[in-house]
Amino acid sequence: MNLYGDYANVSAMCRILEKSGEDVAVDRLSLGDSADFSGYDFIFTGSGTENNQKLVLNDFMKYRDQLKSYIESGKCALMTGNSFEMLGKSITDAEGKTHDGLGLLGFTVKEQNKTRMTSDVIYKADFLETPLVGFVNKCSEIEGNESPLFKVSLGLGDCEGCAGEGVRLNNLFGTHLTGPALIKNPHFLEYTAKLVLGRQPETRHLEYEKAGYEITLHELTKRMNENRG
Amino acid sequence: MRVIFTILVCKLLRFAGKLLGKGSSLPGQVALKLCPDILSRISLPDYIIAVTGSNGKTSTVEMIAHILTGSGKKVAWNKEGSNQIEGVTTLVLDSATLSGKVKADILLIESDERFAKYTFKYIKPTHYVITNLYRDQLTRNGHPEWVYNAIEDSIHDGTQLILNADDPLVSRFGWGKKNVVWFGADKLSTDTETLESVYNDGAYCPVCKAKMEYSTHHYNHIGHYRCTKCGYKRMDTQYTITSVDLDKGVMEIDGKYKISLALKSLYNIYNILSAYTVASIVGIDGEKIAADMNNYVLKNGRVITFKLGSREGTMLTSKHENSISYDQSLRVASAYKQGCDVMIIVDAVSRKYFTSDVSWLWDIDFEMLGSPNIHQIVLAGKYVNDLAVRFSYTDIPQEKIKLFESIDKAVDHLDSGRKEYIYVITCFSDKGKFLGKVNGD
Repeated sequence: MNLYGDYANVSAMCRILEKSGEDVAVDRLSLGDSADFSGYDFIFTGSGTENNQKLVLNDFMKYRDQLKSYIESGKCALMTGNSFEMLGKSITDAEGKTHDGLGLLGFTVKEQNKTRMTSDVIYKADFLETPLVGFVNKCSEIEGNESPLFKVSLGLGDCEGCAGEGVRLNNLFGTHLTGPALIKNPHFLEYTAKLVLGRQPETRHLEYEKAGYEITLHELTKRMNENRG
Repeated sequence: MRVIFTILVCKLLRFAGKLLGKGSSLPGQVALKLCPDILSRISLPDYIIAVTGSNGKTSTVEMIAHILTGSGKKVAWNKEGSNQIEGVTTLVLDSATLSGKVKADILLIESDERFAKYTFKYIKPTHYVITNLYRDQLTRNGHPEWVYNAIEDSIHDGTQLILNADDPLVSRFGWGKKNVVWFGADKLSTDTETLESVYNDGAYCPVCKAKMEYSTHHYNHIGHYRCTKCGYKRMDTQYTITSVDLDKGVMEIDGKYKISLALKSLYNIYNILSAYTVASIVGIDGEKIAADMNNYVLKNGRVITFKLGSREGTMLTSKHENSISYDQSLRVASAYKQGCDVMIIVDAVSRKYFTSDVSWLWDIDFEMLGSPNIHQIVLAGKYVNDLAVRFSYTDIPQEKIKLFESIDKAVDHLDSGRKEYIYVITCFSDKGKFLGKVNGD
């Protein structure tokens, strides 16, 4: 589950924690592994193909209760791309087969195999002063997401015409933003790293990240205004 | 009457378009409006050769056309690379008589991989080459499995498949089928035992999703693989690169034909091999093909040498949003033993559509530029900060790297006292911004 450079979210989290004075160890889990979530301070999952997502979901069922307690304990997790779709009630694939989700949230997912839905996006979060930028690449729609994580300013939301996107469960963040969302959004990295650390993280090393973010936000805002005009 | 009228309109639009320097899709687009099934009303040659895949389509098709034309065959092909149904329609109608017969021995089609199913609904290829499946323009293409499904819908019974045996994602099209022509490379001196890439699209079997094993890696997920569970494996090849020496720039095909390489890259040897395979099937003698490919310089503008003041260099046109394309170019630069500077420009991510997404930078193996023969790395363009962040996650010493948001200033920097050879790596969308500042060939 690492289709669009999603792995770099972990690299970014490791670096900010190290710069903040922590020793960091990373476990990379794959199908068939077994893990104890109670020792983790941050969990990340990334985008996969539709087939791989079902395989991972099937394998992930064994972690359901562990993940639930992890979330309830208030620890931080990030699930990007279609990996967060696993949290819902069910995923119906393009052939019409319904796969049970982890059931931690009430939403349902429906996939199709005709059109790839992609777009640059700007999302607003009520817990951040400035919006998030990024890209969405999916073939599914989400229904019944009662309290979305973000408000959509530009691009795709949970479904056609949806004003919201993503989910939040305590300090677990699920969003269809693909790729290195934490690199592209250094303020979101700072926010999540603070949750992991329980204190203000070091951010002086994020100079280029911040400059890159400003340029992308500028480009996307220009695009958004052109679309409106 | 409608057929004649449509062909005539298409030819006239094409003629006018050429005078005005316009692209080749519009005439076909109009023709398809006038007569949606026009392609099925045209009498086509006995050979209809199609080429698709993520990379190497344009170069392979150019090479095939070069070889076949040199052997006296009349070839109609989409030279300008307009590779969706509109461009192919322009090609077919522009090559046809008014009575609707294509005046060529061979119709050679480069086809976009995602839209091949629409084109080949009307034109059934007799031979179908699939070069490779990479992470390419994922902001439009989704992912390689998505593209696999799209190509699968374009394959018809009775078409001779010609497949890259070394790409597990491509081989799957021929798995369990008879009469597939396989091409590929033996274990090469440039191979590695372990994967040298940021990610591995060959980690899991495309058929059953169990873990795969490689006995050798040519590059990225291209190599000799086998599934640990279901028996899926690389097939034996009928057309084979038996050795390559990238330092000397020589490859050998089928143990007997030596070909000198104008471009010393693994990409290039695969393109040559696919062209060799197709030409052999058409009946051209191996010796003749090897002679035609010897030191062949592509005319499609992908590799351009230039002068900047007293410095010389090569621009390797790579594709933004395509990490393997970048990896190949980086490999060429990092193999330049005499020492060189490398410039990378990311200014407009795409020229065809809007996107500001730079996720693909994270799939490129920039670590290759850490080799000591790379003296300076110049990063330039609007997305220079994103490049800088990406490089900060490599082991390359920061003092080797220079950053310029302005391409002009980056060029001025390169033109101030340094002497090394320069490799410029960028995309079609950005190459003009550099070439406008130097003397190119």
